[in-house]
Amino acid sequence: MPSSTNLLQGTLDLLVLRSLMSNELHGLGIARRIEQMTGGTFQVKPGSLFPALHRMEEAGWLKSAWGESETNRRARYYRMTAAGRRHLQLETEEWQRISIAMAQALATS
Amino acid sequence: MRLLARLSAWKRNLFDRRAMEQSLDEELTAFIDLLAEEKQRGGMAPVEARRAATLEAGGLDQLKEECRDSRALHWLEVLLRDLRYGLRLLLRSPGFAATAVLTLGLGIGATTAIFSVVHATLLRPLPYVQPERLVYLKQNLANYGPMPFSFPKEVKAWHEQSRALSEIGAYIDTRVNVTGLGEAQRLNCGIGTASFFRLLNTRPAAGRLFAPEEDRPGSAPVALISYNLWRGRLGGDPGAVGRVLTVDGMRHTIAGVLPQSFRVPDRYGFDQDLWLPFADSEPAPDRPPYMARAVGRLAPGVTVDAAQAELDRILQATQRRPGRAHALVVPWQEEIASGVRTSLLVFLGAVGFLLLIACVNVAILLLSRSAGREREVSVRLALGAGRARIVRQLLTESVLMALAGAAAGLAFAYWGKDLLVAFLSKSLPAMDPVQLDYRILAFNLGLGLLTGIAFGLTPALQSVRTQERTGLHDSARGTSESRAHHRVRNTLVVVQVALAVTLTIGAGLLAKSFFRLRGLDLGFRSDNLLTLSVNLTPSDYPTALRQAAYFEQALSRVQGLGGVEAAALNCCLPLGDLRWSVSQMKLDGRAEPVDQTDLEVVSPDYFRTMRIPWREGRAFTAADKQGAPYVAIVNETFARRFCPDKRCLGRRIEHWSRPNETALIIGVAGDTHGSAERPVEPVLYAAYLQSEVPSMTMVLRTSGEPMSLAAAVRAQLLALDRNQPPHNLMPMDDLRAQWIAPHRADMFLLAVFAGPALLLGSIGIYGVVAYTANRRTHEIGIRLALGARPRDVLSLITGRMLLLIAAGELLGAAAALALNKVLRTLVVEIPTTDAATYAGSCLLWTAVALLACYLPARQGARTDPVLALRSE
Repeated sequence: MPSSTNLLQGTLDLLVLRSLMSNELHGLGIARRIEQMTGGTFQVKPGSLFPALHRMEEAGWLKSAWGESETNRRARYYRMTAAGRRHLQLETEEWQRISIAMAQALATS
Repeated sequence: MRLLARLSAWKRNLFDRRAMEQSLDEELTAFIDLLAEEKQRGGMAPVEARRAATLEAGGLDQLKEECRDSRALHWLEVLLRDLRYGLRLLLRSPGFAATAVLTLGLGIGATTAIFSVVHATLLRPLPYVQPERLVYLKQNLANYGPMPFSFPKEVKAWHEQSRALSEIGAYIDTRVNVTGLGEAQRLNCGIGTASFFRLLNTRPAAGRLFAPEEDRPGSAPVALISYNLWRGRLGGDPGAVGRVLTVDGMRHTIAGVLPQSFRVPDRYGFDQDLWLPFADSEPAPDRPPYMARAVGRLAPGVTVDAAQAELDRILQATQRRPGRAHALVVPWQEEIASGVRTSLLVFLGAVGFLLLIACVNVAILLLSRSAGREREVSVRLALGAGRARIVRQLLTESVLMALAGAAAGLAFAYWGKDLLVAFLSKSLPAMDPVQLDYRILAFNLGLGLLTGIAFGLTPALQSVRTQERTGLHDSARGTSESRAHHRVRNTLVVVQVALAVTLTIGAGLLAKSFFRLRGLDLGFRSDNLLTLSVNLTPSDYPTALRQAAYFEQALSRVQGLGGVEAAALNCCLPLGDLRWSVSQMKLDGRAEPVDQTDLEVVSPDYFRTMRIPWREGRAFTAADKQGAPYVAIVNETFARRFCPDKRCLGRRIEHWSRPNETALIIGVAGDTHGSAERPVEPVLYAAYLQSEVPSMTMVLRTSGEPMSLAAAVRAQLLALDRNQPPHNLMPMDDLRAQWIAPHRADMFLLAVFAGPALLLGSIGIYGVVAYTANRRTHEIGIRLALGARPRDVLSLITGRMLLLIAAGELLGAAAALALNKVLRTLVVEIPTTDAATYAGSCLLWTAVALLACYLPARQGARTDPVLALRSE
């Protein structure tokens, strides 16, 4: 069983990747998208988000570049790489497997 | 792909830091801007929105810190930063840094130096194939214990019959007269079996090695020469193989040249110039047999014990009286190192102890310094730094100091290891020079790291612990030292002082004895005296008559030289390496026979040449020759010890080598020091014309510098017979210097230990007093404010310390007294309880200690009471 921080980290990574599946987003955008995707359950604080973004960029799953926001403000945009896409696929499968198993375990008495 | 990304990330983090920081800053600022904008859209006022956004983001700097923490190789970044900070701090207090680095350098350097020698001697395997299977064959003699020698016939028996050893070799050390190499020479010679060279994996540099048949007589006589001899005497002659040498009168053909790297791995360092095959191990008739050293290789699967049992069985069969000696098999490496293993390990222990003391001293110094950094630590803790982080940073500083010390120590070790080897050279086995190779460097580095952590841990933990209770308060600092700490520290100070005092006393005693020895009256005048020796080749001079004739002619030739005031002969010159002794001779008027006396065979002019004071009777003359009645002269000690009423003249003594003959004592001469180790012994002098003189030492009293006549004397002797090489030409004063050389070495060694001990001890005291003063600054301030005089404060700080110092001195002096026995073996000519030395050492130490006490105490007493009260 992974430790709790790792679980959280892994979950966050997954959510970030998922949010970047269709388009590029800047930091705030990613936080809002995650909030939206999880129906308000996960409200990512910048203190957790930015370290994660940088870590994932160093790992090669994200690529970043300066761009302009809707309001013509400078912001750093993040995009998923091919490696990131692969990682997302693998981790999603793993998650699904775990959740089915957990559901089964918790259902039986 | 991932790896590439990671590598480029590392590169970015380490080298493009500024760009990264800027980019991060911009990104986060942009984030807060966007967030503020969002809130504004939601209806907040701009200023309100910005504040809310900032709050929600959690503070810009904290955010940046979080990002930094998660970066790859962050720990490296932090380490580099800590190192830079530590370096800056150290450079800011150069006095402290220099002291600490030097102290550590001394300790670490000494340990590394000794470890390198230990490694080269005890740990490094011999450079041969499967060196752990190589063994040394010794014999355990009933009355004497283990001896490394065997008779050649015993070695032969082992060689023929043993199955437990797959290879057995033997070698003998001797000296021979060699002609055919230009001038006649006396050379170091080894006699070895063919198997001996095989065991050492020797490959000849030219020609060949011995063949197995050459172990037995019957083949044409051959010889091997050493590389140095080939280069030196033969000038690197490419046609050396095949040349003929005459060795002790017998012609030998050079069959090969040994490689430069060839070395006999034993601890005698004999350095053979020449090797003869084992066929030559039969000595000339009526000469004593040679003693051989035997070595071998265990057959596969055979244990040392099994081999020993088998060899013992074979040995007993060869003995005339079985049971007197038993075979002993030891691993070769062990045998080589045995002479020096204990000393080396003792050194290692002593030096390790020194290092420990050095660490403790530096720890104490650090403690006294850390008291001044409490504020810094409190602030950092308040700003949110983790306790572990601070400890890590403090440790980095200590490790930095320790590594600097290790570097200094390496320099010290580089120079010190040669000193150590020179000092131990007599007992160290012949080996390649000690290198500071990567293993030693690794040891040095490791030691540095370990030391840094060892002495840095306590102060580091201490600094963060204090803050728990006092934080940033202005109130008085609690005493964070427990009783136990006090006791430990006090004990250490006492021990250091005691150690320093003991070593100083020892060094003082040795120095005094050395100087006494240097000026000692040896019983003769050693200035302007040239000595040289001639060992006549037995086959050229087989009878006593011929030998005496040679030396007679040699004397007259040499006496004719300008610059020679007098010339004489002695078989066993005082301070030389040969001494004969004879025993059990009946003396007129004495009930018990003379049990033991030294014997010196001399020429008539001997006493005059040596300027030995004359007591009674007459000296030898030319009339005392072969055929005339035997005569003898004795020295004062002999007369005192053996002659009844101390009158010897006219008494007859049993002849020492001719049975049924007696000699008349005709004179008494003054005493001379025969050898370095023993005090004056009784000596019996015989006339050389009436004795066998196969080898003699010639002494010449010169009017000028002795060595200036060396060439002329040598030429005269070679003109007389060019096949008898004169050797060991040196002034008597050089022999004398050689005689006291070991004492000088001992003195230096102890001084080398005493010096640092003194230094360390005083640093320790300084550190402790500084620490105490620092801790009690507040209290001192109060006392001063209340009217105490600086003098009182001084005594307050140093009071306890002076007691400790006194205790340490007493302990040290007591230890020196207790070590009396050990000292007595080293110290001569003065009593080991010489009061002057004891008093002098204690005085010296007290002066040093008082100074070490006074300086920091004065600093403490000088504090401005206002400042003291206001500070933390």
